[in-house]
Amino acid sequence: MSASSLHTLLHRPDVWRANDTAADACPTVSTGHPALDAELPGGGWPIGDMSEVLTDCCGHGEVSLLLPMLAQASQADGWVAWVAPPWYPNVSALAAAGLCTPRMLVIQAGSAGERVWALRHALNSGACSAVTGWLDRVDTALLRRLQLAVREAALPLVLFRPASDAHMASPAALRLQVSIAAEGEVRIDILKRRGRPANRPVHLGTRPGIPVRRADILRRRPALALVG
Amino acid sequence: MLWLALVFPEWPLQARFRAQAHTQPLAVAAKQRVVALDATALAQGVRPGQRVADALALAPDLLISPRDSRVEDAALKDAAGCALHFTPHVALATDGLLLEIAGSIRLFGGLDGLLRALRSALAAAGFHALSACAPTPRAARWLALGTPGRTIRGPGALSAALAALPLDVTEAGEARLATLREAGLRSVGDAMKLPRDALALRDAQALRRLIDQALGQTADPRTFFSPPPEIDSRIELPVPRHDADVLLFAASRLFNSACSQLAAAHAGIAECLLELQHEHEAPTRLELRTGTPTHDARLLASLTREHLARIALPEAVTALRLRAPDWIEQPGRSRDLFGTQAPSPQDRQEARDVLVERLRARLGPDAVYSLSASGDHRPERAQHRDEPGRAQPAAGKPQRPLWLLPEPELLAERDGQPWRNGPLHCLGRAERIEAGWWDDAGGNDHPAEALRDYYIAVGPRQERLWIYREHTAPHRWYLQGLFA
Repeated sequence: MSASSLHTLLHRPDVWRANDTAADACPTVSTGHPALDAELPGGGWPIGDMSEVLTDCCGHGEVSLLLPMLAQASQADGWVAWVAPPWYPNVSALAAAGLCTPRMLVIQAGSAGERVWALRHALNSGACSAVTGWLDRVDTALLRRLQLAVREAALPLVLFRPASDAHMASPAALRLQVSIAAEGEVRIDILKRRGRPANRPVHLGTRPGIPVRRADILRRRPALALVG
Repeated sequence: MLWLALVFPEWPLQARFRAQAHTQPLAVAAKQRVVALDATALAQGVRPGQRVADALALAPDLLISPRDSRVEDAALKDAAGCALHFTPHVALATDGLLLEIAGSIRLFGGLDGLLRALRSALAAAGFHALSACAPTPRAARWLALGTPGRTIRGPGALSAALAALPLDVTEAGEARLATLREAGLRSVGDAMKLPRDALALRDAQALRRLIDQALGQTADPRTFFSPPPEIDSRIELPVPRHDADVLLFAASRLFNSACSQLAAAHAGIAECLLELQHEHEAPTRLELRTGTPTHDARLLASLTREHLARIALPEAVTALRLRAPDWIEQPGRSRDLFGTQAPSPQDRQEARDVLVERLRARLGPDAVYSLSASGDHRPERAQHRDEPGRAQPAAGKPQRPLWLLPEPELLAERDGQPWRNGPLHCLGRAERIEAGWWDDAGGNDHPAEALRDYYIAVGPRQERLWIYREHTAPHRWYLQGLFA
């Protein structure tokens, strides 16, 4: 078999190589973090599928992970829906990250049932360009309903859940656990993704949303550059 | 000219309950006699004209409602509103409608297409009708009463078709018809054959005139219905009910007839009032708001569903009333060549408004909002809730946390260090915010003036927090936000 025919064979859509992430399985939108994109199937948040971000503590940069995507979505003519955020989103921080803040729609909802209901309506309305939500103590049946809604909507849906839910089965196509590594870097463990399972975490150099510390700049750049 | 006559069988009953599912036999009575009844009652032996007492003896669980001509008038106008979608020429008859449809047949893809569309529009509003077509309104009505489903297009066949009908369809008055029956007349044809003088002798000139009108030999002017630009319609439940499904079903009857009326008038409503009436309690009022003008019955129904899920009814509902006084003109939008179109900016705006209203209907009006910057440097006052779609863009500021606490949270202090489940270490230099000296709303204990040094702090779990220390004594530490 010649090399070229092997090449064509390997690129048939029904041939799956075990060391590949499922590259063209689904459309995606870039996360805005190249190191993370490289590890995600299709290179970003899956469109028409559910993604989960799991954290055990607020303040680890978990929401900032989403900001580039939200900033881009806010340029389109639709709501950027935040369902049941734990605190008030700060418009000056969001504007600094490039979000068009008047397009933000904050939706407060109490029980998991109401939150899922609001998420589904936001997805189905055709009025949103991005939807994100915070869930805890949610059962699989509700998540499946969400999964169906997002498939129809052709939007990325990113849910934030407590890390304690990591052991629970989820229909999400992508599950990321965010924590803090020793150096203050954001550590992202990919618990679940399409295709080959990930075996090493992704480190994002600086914490998104937090300015680079002066010490970091000094360490990374040559002194001359500072003078210039 | 082609006239379509619609006749609503058992009209007093239809007008009141609009074909809702029920289990008990139903009847409407006037002057102690049954005037209309449903199939269940008929199966149990109840007949129109029967005395109420006899009917109750035959069917002990028969629900009898008194006849109300106002209810029937209002319902007939609702039905006419539905029909206006198909032709602007709709005339009211006591228990039916007369539609002049010659001009609309092509638009709806032939007579069959028009009839099918009309039937389903009426069915959605809870009406069931028998119909027939003829070149004159009176002939159409007679055919609808005598041989429903018949269509006579030309005047040639008309006379023969009418001749076969029984005399009852002429509605010329029971006493007069009785005289003719005694004279051995059975059908309209028999009356047609009689010389005019003979009919005059039997006090039946009126019948002759009706026949002339039906044949198109005498003028038969009709006034067309022009609906007032408001909706006020009502539907009764056969039995008082609590269940949301039943109420929603009844409400959607009202929405469907209201919306076809609106569509015919090229109008929409942005708000309407649905009253759930109870036997003893004051009516429960649901204010439905859509944000943008609409005549989409499904949208109104889904808003109602959210409202019904949220409220608790004080008592079972006996009737529903829909009122929409404010109509908003909606210029028509034409479809493009291929029948579909990409959502226009107007559609997207509408979808956004609808989402907000739907969420608010279920979660409460305060639960859905946008955020605007306030132009105050104190972070807890730097932004406020705003009506979605009206929020002002904010200026970006560096080094601000993503989350803001609603109010600064007082932090404990140990060994001079702020403490939150562990010591907090401040990073970098402080940012001083001094603002609000003009404001003394807080009183002495909680001065509104802010003299603060802000720090980014690292907590025991490596979380990044935004904390501040009061510049003035007693130099307390507060948590203001989180860098999430």
